Amino acid sequence: MARKLRVWVDHQACVGNAMCESIATRTFRLNENRQSEAFDPGGDSLETILEAAENCPVSAIFVEDAETGERLFP
Amino acid sequence: MTATHIQDDMFTPDVIADPYTYYGRIRDEDPVHWNEKYAMWAVTRYDDLTWLTRHHELFSSAVFKNDPRPPYPDINESDLGLYEYIKNYQADQFIQHDRPEHLEMRRVLHGFFTPRSMEAWRPFVRAAVKDLLDAAEEKGEMDVMRDLATPLPVLVIAEMMGVPPAERQYIRHLAEKLLYIGRGEYDRMKPLAEGMRGMVDYVSPLVDERIVNPGDDFISVLANGEKKGIFTRHEVLVNTSLLLLAGHETTINLICNGALSFLRHQDQWELLKQDPAGLAKPATEECLRYDSPVKSIQRIAAQDVEMRGKVLRKDDRIRWFISSANRDPVAFPDPEKFDITRHPNQHVAFGSGVHHCLGATLARVEGQEVFKALAERFPRLQAEAADLEYQPSITFRSLKSLPVTWH
Repeated sequence: MARKLRVWVDHQACVGNAMCESIATRTFRLNENRQSEAFDPGGDSLETILEAAENCPVSAIFVEDAETGERLFP
Repeated sequence: MTATHIQDDMFTPDVIADPYTYYGRIRDEDPVHWNEKYAMWAVTRYDDLTWLTRHHELFSSAVFKNDPRPPYPDINESDLGLYEYIKNYQADQFIQHDRPEHLEMRRVLHGFFTPRSMEAWRPFVRAAVKDLLDAAEEKGEMDVMRDLATPLPVLVIAEMMGVPPAERQYIRHLAEKLLYIGRGEYDRMKPLAEGMRGMVDYVSPLVDERIVNPGDDFISVLANGEKKGIFTRHEVLVNTSLLLLAGHETTINLICNGALSFLRHQDQWELLKQDPAGLAKPATEECLRYDSPVKSIQRIAAQDVEMRGKVLRKDDRIRWFISSANRDPVAFPDPEKFDITRHPNQHVAFGSGVHHCLGATLARVEGQEVFKALAERFPRLQAEAADLEYQPSITFRSLKSLPVTWH
């Protein structure tokens, strides 16, 4: 079974670059302020979500294992 | 409130010397201001700037492609042919594209510039700063612009591009011509076109070579974009030149303007010296906010848009001013205060939205390493000259020189 993830975006840092939305298309979406929201943390594979987090130009994305709390990114 | 008394020449000596008073007044009195002289909108408030940059579908970045008008300020009529060449050159820059092309082009380059990959360059940057400061110490004097702010970013971007060290001087020579893009002189088209042709001629054989023998350098990344059919050859050449320029000009200003901010705020300099390693990061953010390297960026309206009761018509020219947004009291308490512990500090020195500066992390790493090293090595740093001059640019906040002593 796929790992359950907790994914969130720090809105103090997010500049709405939308690179995450273009990589993990089912996980991230821009809200009305044009900042990213992780609206479906199970939408993409872990690999794709980590790729999106890595490509955030302001390191605003955080990924954890929802069950163990293990930090997966950064 | 009426704003008929705002004078619209943005190149006068007092506006160039102190953009904050002039653009601050527009921000307070007429935040979305129609500049009669240049027939363009000046957008000056922080909230409007973030809204505008995040609504890229309303405000096109394809300024050169979409604007049939001659440039502003005016140029010599005999140079209109040169302007056509310059327009075609500029239009091929990836930053001059809108989605979906912009995303496709940016994705070719983006992986090279992620925070993690840029962090890997920190030891190189640190060593380069050390070498430059060793040389200055030996000489016993330093012009921060000539001896530190200029050579450091050129050295770093040249290394990333895989350009031979001996050619850095030539790159800088071409870059200085390209800086006329933000200037107001009637005859500025000639040096600009020379710079552009010179860059294309210079990078052309490098690209030829990297197409055949790719490495892990930046030109190879662009050349790979051509192989994938995303870039044309002209786009590879123009974007290599763009990154050579953008990769250093802005950082030069961060270093020089930041150093000056410390020289003029001794209390903050004392504070940095107490913990250079710990404060280098927030200090760099405050330098970026307080005296931002880039003053303004252009857009062109993609459709009719209303902002603060004004109607911006499709194809209207727009310029958004980082210099005023970063001093907006609505976004920053006590905005005129240089405070290296400021938190939060969500400045817009790198813009915002899908066009947020690709090289932001690199600029940050360079700024952090410079301010940390200066505080550690030159605790008695002082400005030597009282009168400092800036380049007459509407785009860049660039000092001409910054001589210092430390004895």
